[in-house]
Amino acid sequence: MAQTTLQSPPEAGSARALPTRAGRPRRRRTLFAYWLIAPAVAFMVLVHLVPTAGGVLLSFKRLNTFTFARLFDAPWAGLENYRSILFDTANPLRDGFFGAVQNTAVYTFWTVSGTLAGGLAIALLLNRQMRGIRLIRTLMLTPWIVPSFVVAVLWQFMWQSDVGIVNKVLVDYTHLLSERPIWLLGENSMWAIIIPSVWRGLPFAMIFFLAGLQAMPPELHEAAAIDGAGPFRRFRYITLPLLRPLIAVQLLFGVIYAAYQFAIPYIMLGSNPGPDADLMMTLIYRQSFSNNLFGFGAAASVLLMAAMCVWVAIWYRAFKRDLEVT
Amino acid sequence: MSARWVNRGLDALTWLVLLAMLAPILWLIASSLQTDGQLSRGTYNLLEPTFTAFSRMWQTVDFERYLLNSLIICTIAALCATAFASTAGYALARFHFRGAKPLSLAVVGTQLIPGSLFLLPLFMGFIWLKQNTPVALFDTHLGMILVYTAFFTPVAIYFMRYFFAAIPRDLEEAAMVDGCTRFGAFVRIVLPAAAPGLLATFVYAFLFAWDELLFVAALTQENAETIPIGIRNFIGNYQERTAQLMAAGVVSTLPVLIAFFATQRWLVKGLTAGAVKG
Repeated sequence: MAQTTLQSPPEAGSARALPTRAGRPRRRRTLFAYWLIAPAVAFMVLVHLVPTAGGVLLSFKRLNTFTFARLFDAPWAGLENYRSILFDTANPLRDGFFGAVQNTAVYTFWTVSGTLAGGLAIALLLNRQMRGIRLIRTLMLTPWIVPSFVVAVLWQFMWQSDVGIVNKVLVDYTHLLSERPIWLLGENSMWAIIIPSVWRGLPFAMIFFLAGLQAMPPELHEAAAIDGAGPFRRFRYITLPLLRPLIAVQLLFGVIYAAYQFAIPYIMLGSNPGPDADLMMTLIYRQSFSNNLFGFGAAASVLLMAAMCVWVAIWYRAFKRDLEVT
Repeated sequence: MSARWVNRGLDALTWLVLLAMLAPILWLIASSLQTDGQLSRGTYNLLEPTFTAFSRMWQTVDFERYLLNSLIICTIAALCATAFASTAGYALARFHFRGAKPLSLAVVGTQLIPGSLFLLPLFMGFIWLKQNTPVALFDTHLGMILVYTAFFTPVAIYFMRYFFAAIPRDLEEAAMVDGCTRFGAFVRIVLPAAAPGLLATFVYAFLFAWDELLFVAALTQENAETIPIGIRNFIGNYQERTAQLMAAGVVSTLPVLIAFFATQRWLVKGLTAGAVKG
């Protein structure tokens, strides 16, 4: 993505981008461009850049209930926040941190792979001609429009052990299970947040893949079919390689968004989702705003961002060659 | 012969998948039409819908205020983000200037920052401003509008650049030959031509602002709280009034649902811009 979508559109790179109006110095064009980007840049500096720098700064400070009144003048702690999170085995927060790291990894893995695999499968299904296909494609997008806090509220009700529809279907109507599982507590609670997340993410992956499938030249498939390749071989050797750039883009952002998921666990399971479903963001938010451990929150946030930077680097190495294709 | 049956089977499967995807939403609507007691006992009667939950939910929590706050904050923020993104997107689509590439990278880079990292300093900054200056950003509409504008500007830039790149350059050049200034050509010729893109960008920013919970949870207290906070209060205090909660879910989904379906043609184009490029 960093390369594909961010490159200037083709015509901007051509010779026509040079000044066309006789006598206008190029500098005025450039100045005009700077005026155009100024408001957006100002906002990004004020709300993204400066506070992020501030957040990194705070991660080196001892900021808690007692020092909060001093705001940015809180005493320095050096690397203490990081040390206690990563290496201080006596610190109970360390266990919570590593638990959340593990949960976030599990959540991200299943959410992203479920969304991509399911989205691709549905896209293949919708990339056919049939009666009402336009209506189906549009309606299929609806779950993506439902706000995530509504998704959380709705699924919380659906997951209820005794009256929830999920258990009613699984136990009472179809007798697939003999005992009613408890979804919102314990080890099942991870699935209670993964499944709705996949459900909400599927339409987006679907529409993205579908656009890619429809842009694919049909001749390739026809030629392969004439050569005797069956549908599975055509999918494996034609469709999948051509979709690689799309998979790359979705992987990149899917992982980042999943790792930063907050609303679904927070609304569904409360401010403390428990050790089986506590994600990085719910942990950081709770420790910062309920327990006033702002230094811990800032340091954990920095570590989370560092992990995502590592992910982007890995991703870039893996998909570098695909970025040049698109 | 067998190909026809495979096709029929796939058609049926498509409808089944659609039904499965829509089932939770249908369930949301169906349960909002029951009473709280029916839902808590698990004795649904889907054949006898009632609207009592929809009339009672407004008293249980002050939902009107949350809804109004959400509408005000998200509309203005999405408008501002679209406006700023349209100028910046135009600059990136049309001009060569030093810093264009870093700006493009920064646009994506903003997505890499966890909200929790810059939320905290923002929170402290808002508190500091409240204590030391007359600038009121903590728990005000203005504060949330500023934050959301900044939030959704980067993605909106990416959207708008795509739409501007699709507009032929000759249009503005002709206008400038006729004596229009550069900015005049942008406002009078390019922006109207990009109207569907502007609308799609606005709706996209609106959808995301509507969904935002983390920042509004930390940066507001009472005055500027939006729907997600209303829902949280609902769960926290009136969990047993499930039908009303579901009704509140329906009411909070309706505005975005309408906005989406009214503009989905252009929105889908913008969303899939990256998929079909090249």
